[in-house]
Amino acid sequence: MSKDPLHTRLCDQLGIEYPIVAFTHCKDVAVSVINSGGFAVLGEAMHTPEEIAADIKWIRDRVDGKPFGIDLVLPASAPAEASLDEIKAKIPETHRAYEQMIMQKYDVPMPKEAVDLHQWGGLNQALGRAQLEVLLEERVPVIASGLGSPAFLLDAAHERGCKVWGLVGRTRQAKRQIEAGVDAVIAQGFDAAGHTGDMGTLSIVAEVAAIAGDTPIIAAGGITTGRHLAAALCLGASGVWTGTLWLACRESDVDMIIKERLVEATANDTIWSDSISGFTMRVLKCPWTEEWKKPDAPRPLESPYQMILSSDYIQGANDARRADLMTEASGQGVGFVTEMKPARQIVFDMVEEALGTFDDVVGLPE
Amino acid sequence: MSDELERPGVRRGFDAEKAGRRAECDGGGLVMGSRYAARQEFTGTLTGEFYDEGDPPWRWYLMEQLTRKPADYPFEAVWCESESLFLIGPASPDTSEGSPPSRSHATKQRNEEQG
Repeated sequence: MSKDPLHTRLCDQLGIEYPIVAFTHCKDVAVSVINSGGFAVLGEAMHTPEEIAADIKWIRDRVDGKPFGIDLVLPASAPAEASLDEIKAKIPETHRAYEQMIMQKYDVPMPKEAVDLHQWGGLNQALGRAQLEVLLEERVPVIASGLGSPAFLLDAAHERGCKVWGLVGRTRQAKRQIEAGVDAVIAQGFDAAGHTGDMGTLSIVAEVAAIAGDTPIIAAGGITTGRHLAAALCLGASGVWTGTLWLACRESDVDMIIKERLVEATANDTIWSDSISGFTMRVLKCPWTEEWKKPDAPRPLESPYQMILSSDYIQGANDARRADLMTEASGQGVGFVTEMKPARQIVFDMVEEALGTFDDVVGLPE
Repeated sequence: MSDELERPGVRRGFDAEKAGRRAECDGGGLVMGSRYAARQEFTGTLTGEFYDEGDPPWRWYLMEQLTRKPADYPFEAVWCESESLFLIGPASPDTSEGSPPSRSHATKQRNEEQG
């Protein structure tokens, strides 16, 4: 065993101290993790190119030259036709009636403003392209794609000194991206928050690591402790990608109501449900998810119809800050998120626990 | 979607080697109105039509005759990003002659316009 089991290829690639990657939508969390020796990737999929440029500058001003990443959701497919108005017109009346029943039963207030539903079809590609231009122009140290393959931008990114990472839910996607030359692959398992593939983290990380060669693999899905970190490295990963872990940390801008629910939640309080978007995604249980799984409920619609149906509930609950209604994406590791600690403390606790785990199992050299 | 292909930076083309090939698409995208990504899987036949978006080119192929698509997916065709496509099975005899067994309405119309 090397002297420091936490010093991995990923650490060498990035010049970081610990192989812990925080995926977050909050800039303060990102900066705190980076300045604590870890790495952070800021999720900017919903931001305009101008907002992304401003956020990059904000981070750069606070990390003293240390690297960071920006994550976009590059689409991998797009419907061949239809406008948003046509889509809305196709929602069945039975489903509209069921939505209205839930809204009335739980006295859900309507959103304060119309929900933004602009991402659709080719608009996704045009937006993704405009966002990418900013990342290349700003020479962001790591460009991460949260869904579609980033292979087409590899040469342009590498010419500018940017690393490119791709997140995969299947081994064949990883193989294709590794052959294309990505700088790291994030292998995400079913345990993760949000929309995932159907392979468990233990299975996909081991499978992808087996074909990765020298490409670093980053394990994702349900990882919230140092024991998870140690296990991921044993599976062949060079680091871990963590999301739920940071939602309730002190710097996080997540609503305090959700933070309190997260620290009380266990894995059993999450549900893999297609009732919110039409795609299965892991979230905290809420009245909306519970109503749609009842035997007499209509089968949730495919995306984007179900998202259109659920959007008033989700936004209305958030606008009114109704603790009894709100939900948030959450991974199965949420049971270990038990305090609202500073991000720095989370990094150090994770490192200490991982080292302790290695020591327990094989004994670390003095 | 066809109207959207008229936007600047989009170049259309036809790949005879892909035309008629069966393929799987590990697709998906950003969930409308949310900050989440979601996966969608398709199996179908490539028409050979493609378009490149921007520079570096981001290539998309048209898949029709869908035999697998998400439940309630309302359309009969999907554009698939080239690196998310996985060809399955051998090339059909039609392909070797450069004549795809199925052309989308858009292609037929364009060919007619071009005479």
